[in-house]
Amino acid sequence: MLTPELQIFIAGFLIAAAGGMLGSFALLRRMALVGDALSHVALPGIALGILLNFNLFLGAGAFLVLGTLGIWAVEHKTKLPVDTLVGVFFTLALAIGALITPEEEILDALFGDITQISQLDFWLAVAGSLVIMALLLFFARRFTLSLISPDLALSAGFRPHLLELSFLLIFALTVAVGIKFVGALLMGSLIIIPAATSRNIARSMNQYITLSVILGILGAILGILISRFYGLPPGPAFVLFAGALFFISIFFRR
Amino acid sequence: MPVLEVKNLSVRYGGQVVLDDISFDLERGDALAVIGPNGSGKTALLRAILGAARYIGEVNLSPEIRIGYVPQKIDLERDLPITVKEFLALRSRSAPEKALEAVDLAPTFLNKRIGELSSGELQRVLIAWAIIGHPDLLLFDEPTASVDVAGQRTVYELLHKLQEEYNLALILISHDLTVVYRYANKVLCLNRQQVCFGAPDEVLTPAELAKLYGGDRKFYHHAHP
Repeated sequence: MLTPELQIFIAGFLIAAAGGMLGSFALLRRMALVGDALSHVALPGIALGILLNFNLFLGAGAFLVLGTLGIWAVEHKTKLPVDTLVGVFFTLALAIGALITPEEEILDALFGDITQISQLDFWLAVAGSLVIMALLLFFARRFTLSLISPDLALSAGFRPHLLELSFLLIFALTVAVGIKFVGALLMGSLIIIPAATSRNIARSMNQYITLSVILGILGAILGILISRFYGLPPGPAFVLFAGALFFISIFFRR
Repeated sequence: MPVLEVKNLSVRYGGQVVLDDISFDLERGDALAVIGPNGSGKTALLRAILGAARYIGEVNLSPEIRIGYVPQKIDLERDLPITVKEFLALRSRSAPEKALEAVDLAPTFLNKRIGELSSGELQRVLIAWAIIGHPDLLLFDEPTASVDVAGQRTVYELLHKLQEEYNLALILISHDLTVVYRYANKVLCLNRQQVCFGAPDEVLTPAELAKLYGGDRKFYHHAHP
């Protein structure tokens, strides 16, 4: 039997693993803030979900996919740097989200609460995380190459534009899956912090990805435990713990 | 049948014409040197052949062709946690030791991170990366400053050796005319427009060079039998 406690652990475990793995690719090309910003693009979707009473994952997911396609299309039309665009989309989405989110729900939307997940949320989180990890592993070589050098990717016969779009869509899916756990505001941390810590220590790509995943999982489990025993919300608890590990890892920087 | 055929190629960045009406072709075993002053469109030409830059005109590559590309520089963050072995595996997993041996690097380099390499070592690894994919056409963009002159010569000897060994077509961008005479059998002079194309001995006349680099160019190839 899957007790609610066990479900929380399993969902947290898988979401953190997927976030850590995604982050290790995102940090290959200074995309850390893209994740932070993309997570806010989900806010209007969450707000609509709350207002119109449908599943938040779907609302967030729809807005994320639209936002991602928008960013990608405008980037290739205008050649503006992706972080500029993400910055614009991000503040727009945040403003719209803040306007339409009911006041009493705003904290949950921003910080999330995995202890309140429904059956559907649980299975969505499980399936979503597994799909994300499978896709990342399948495309690992192509993503790595097009993230570190689009021209080399092109010379190897890959199509960096399409790979970039696929990566952003996987990124959006990860945010949609994780947003219940840590909320929009802290979603970036789930993706960035484990990978940033791992990058300080890892000596190879294999180590780097594995360690990001392990650190994400460790942070999630400890975050959930801390929140159980001390009554803190699990999202911020995760960030505090993962952040502490990051600062420790600085001293072990190779 | 030529490996590469370029017809009336033009490239614009923004509103600016970077390359205007370039035409040439290349057979297997050819080594084409592309020369011209800074900003003459040399790198743009390679990028158009790669498909990385938009162009007007035709770039016809023979079907199933494999391209190897050695960029002028690659913006790698120094702390990128990727070893040389993993980097080479992004192109092909077959025999990384052999690829390193071909560029005169010891197998111990496989476990180094690419961020730890010197610029000369990185360039060799990039060449190894290109040839591990068994290219039919190798595009080599010479670094302007990062590699010292002594190192530079051996890289050209290396390219020459690889070219003969694999009978590939080679396009190399060079700033050094001695390289052109020594290693190329065709030369393309660019100054946004095509100033000359042909065998170096025939087309690199003092008059053409003056046209290419401006009148006060002091460099001629003297010691030529």
